[in-house]
Amino acid sequence: MASKFLERSTYFLFTLPAVILYTLFFAYAVFVGIQYSFTDWNGISSGYNYVGFSNYVDLWNNPNFKQSLIVTGQYAIMLVAGVMILSLILALSLNSLKKLQTFAKSVYFLPAMISAVTISLIWDQLFVRVVPLIGEAFDIAAFYQSPLAHPKYALIAVVIVNIWQAVALPTLIFIAGLQSVPSELYEAGRIDGASTFNRFRYITFPFLIPTITVNMVLAIKAGITSFDYAYTLTGGGPVKSTNVIGIMIYNDAFQNLRFAMANAEAVILFVIIAVLSFVQIKLGRKGGVH
Amino acid sequence: MNVSIRQEGLGWRILRNLILLIGIIIILGPMYLVVINSLKSLEEAGQGFFNLPRALDFSNYAELLSKGNYWRYVWNTTFITIGSIVMVLLINPTVAYAIARNRHKKYYNFVYLYILLGLFVPFQVIMLPLTKIMTNLSLLNPVGLILLYGALSLTRGVFLLVNYIEGMPMEIEEAARIDGCSTFQIYYSIILRLIMPMLVTLIIMDALWFWNDFMLPLLILNKSKEFWTLPLFQYNFKTEYSFNYTMAFTSYLMAMLPIIVVYAAGQKYIIAGLTEGAIKG
Repeated sequence: MASKFLERSTYFLFTLPAVILYTLFFAYAVFVGIQYSFTDWNGISSGYNYVGFSNYVDLWNNPNFKQSLIVTGQYAIMLVAGVMILSLILALSLNSLKKLQTFAKSVYFLPAMISAVTISLIWDQLFVRVVPLIGEAFDIAAFYQSPLAHPKYALIAVVIVNIWQAVALPTLIFIAGLQSVPSELYEAGRIDGASTFNRFRYITFPFLIPTITVNMVLAIKAGITSFDYAYTLTGGGPVKSTNVIGIMIYNDAFQNLRFAMANAEAVILFVIIAVLSFVQIKLGRKGGVH
Repeated sequence: MNVSIRQEGLGWRILRNLILLIGIIIILGPMYLVVINSLKSLEEAGQGFFNLPRALDFSNYAELLSKGNYWRYVWNTTFITIGSIVMVLLINPTVAYAIARNRHKKYYNFVYLYILLGLFVPFQVIMLPLTKIMTNLSLLNPVGLILLYGALSLTRGVFLLVNYIEGMPMEIEEAARIDGCSTFQIYYSIILRLIMPMLVTLIIMDALWFWNDFMLPLLILNKSKEFWTLPLFQYNFKTEYSFNYTMAFTSYLMAMLPIIVVYAAGQKYIIAGLTEGAIKG
């Protein structure tokens, strides 16, 4: 009898550990986070009051928050553009490589193995020790010091470090996408006299659209929620020029005693991600070969 | 495919090789500088940052190993990565199998959508409540982190595995059922084997995440030095070595070393595994 009961409920039991863990550490956390965003809690005191939407109203009027959103937007746009263009070029190059393809692939995937913290610290040193040498050699005033110390160049420098690592996985995904194009189509295109560019435009590209969507979604989310690189390289400075929303949330929660406010910032980030993902999925369904 | 390669224009081939060469220099260049400068004294590096070391001087390494708790951090990172992978293997394929075979039932379809919704939630939304929840449960330790990774691995795991299982033929399972196999036996001796390629992909992606993660260890473990992982060790030592940068380079190399060794040994499988997931996912 007992074994019959077990057999009938196996599927249900299979879902239980996942559902319990996910509910406690994910769904409940989301719920609590949204709840905190309507309070005035500083994160330490024993009690707090519900204050309605006042955190959101404050954020709307807070120039630092707007500045942080703009920085985050710039960061995301540069990251997405850099990652998409470079990984597509690299995938096309690697895919057509005959000799040494395995070697080249393993070199290009190497950055994905290393932690963002280590990569950031290495580049921090390179910016301090190598960039001034270039600045002096070519007499470029902007390069006399590490770009990370310069409010105008710090953001680009952080994004470059992020791109250095973030290109690896999309490249691999693009190569997989390229290998899904049937080679007969290239043959047909060649017989019809299509140019290299037209073969890319009309044969390769439609097959790549699903992969482009996947890579875009991942890159945009990575750009908007980025934290590790800027936190390790600049901590948000100089003069807040790299103060992405991820850092603002972290600092408000753990340093500025604005825990509830930080939750409101995170909820706004949530809404932005949800809207962008929705739009992308809609757009991604429109064209391409599936 | 061979024909198309042979007929690529010469101009494109030259451009392509140039692009790939520059890329390889940009990737390996920093690694090279880390290695050579980790073998120099501060004074020697000051004389020539790009020069090869005059002699193989491992004193930086000796100092790092004697003073820091390097092996402790390697052990912590290994323990957390392996523990979390075990969690992933225990909870991901089971729930994915149950969902994939019962999607027409309300409860399973709900669980599926419930877990997939996580794809749209940025980590920042849960990170602040999590610190409070983990504190209240006294789970600010490696075990707590492993439980968290298990829970957070579900979105990607369920997404990839459910798709994969639904694409598999049912015949073997049905035959096994007629032969009197229980659902658990079918899962354990048939399904687990059939989904192995996707499981390998998932394990590689998750292992890289667990090993290299900075944010969650920073939130959960940073207060207790004995729990630090390699990324935390790196981050916390950045000020200590800021004036002794060859020492800093040594610490970067030592932090990368375990994963580079694993990569050197298994890069073929790692890349093939991830490509597999990219096609099927």
